[in-house]
Amino acid sequence: MIRVAAVGDIHMGPDSQGVLRPAFETLGDCADLLLLAGDLTRHGTPDEARVVAREVAGLPVPVVAVLGNHDHHDERPDEVTAVLREAGVQVLEGEGTVVETGGGRVGVAGTKGFGGGFAGRSGGEFGEPLMKEFIRYTRRCADGLRTALEELAGQECAERVALTHFAPVPDTLAGEPLEIYPFLGSYLLAEAIDAAGAGLAVHGHAHAGTEHGMTSGGVPVRNVAQPVIRKAFNIYHLHGDRSGSGGTSAVGRR
Amino acid sequence: MNAPPDVEYRIAHLKERLAAEETGDLGIRIENRGSSVTVIGTVPTAHSRAALMDTVNEELAGLTVHFDVVVAECAAPDHPEEVI
Repeated sequence: MIRVAAVGDIHMGPDSQGVLRPAFETLGDCADLLLLAGDLTRHGTPDEARVVAREVAGLPVPVVAVLGNHDHHDERPDEVTAVLREAGVQVLEGEGTVVETGGGRVGVAGTKGFGGGFAGRSGGEFGEPLMKEFIRYTRRCADGLRTALEELAGQECAERVALTHFAPVPDTLAGEPLEIYPFLGSYLLAEAIDAAGAGLAVHGHAHAGTEHGMTSGGVPVRNVAQPVIRKAFNIYHLHGDRSGSGGTSAVGRR
Repeated sequence: MNAPPDVEYRIAHLKERLAAEETGDLGIRIENRGSSVTVIGTVPTAHSRAALMDTVNEELAGLTVHFDVVVAECAAPDHPEEVI
């Protein structure tokens, strides 16, 4: 069994230093790794990133993160990433990493992702250049996620987890206004997850959404935005039998 | 009573200001409910809650505003979910 702790949308700033640390320090007893699903800061400044870095530095479990849209606002995502990496955080964008745990190897593939909407109600690569680029950007994020998950499939992982900030499915947006769904996620992310296979997909971004959802291919999706889970993090026990090939309980996963 | 039609535009401008300013709040729902405006959501700290309320009160001066804004809970979970 692999114990995955996850939270997103912690939106840290100078006034929140130390708020999450007491809970994070218990991770060694209850989790094998901590996933951070983006929007770690409020405006994506290096100063805010340093607050996050201090909050997670030296934790008893490895920390793997993606950035969120807030972490891009100051247009210095590379600096934010560098600050987090200096604190030992693995920051993923279109790439994967393998974490060794007592329960086996866990592969985590991550991308921020982007919007566009969900099947049947989505934007397309059509019309003005800006509109085309909107969807192409999401597609690049999704392609990076798919490639990273596929690469992890060859690395003897007991589990593979897809980590995004934007939502791959509309299920976990329930509670948000329907009108803003296209800004909250994209089916392209779910399509990538289903094509490459995963045992769990974790995202944030939708503060008013709900925790539980599932892709069309049957991959469990969890919205771990802190306002949704109402805790410092949630823990998911994965039992290593969901991301294998074949089997009636793993339809669509490979 | 709120005076339409400018209330909706004031709310839209308020949301832009909240996103850009100190608290960076995009996840706050601000709705015009006829005789009042409701502000609902979760913020990271008590400090950001106070800053949010100050900005809202300033931007929507003269309107009746009802707040339901809570500070994010930061306790560790007391049990895991078995994902089966």
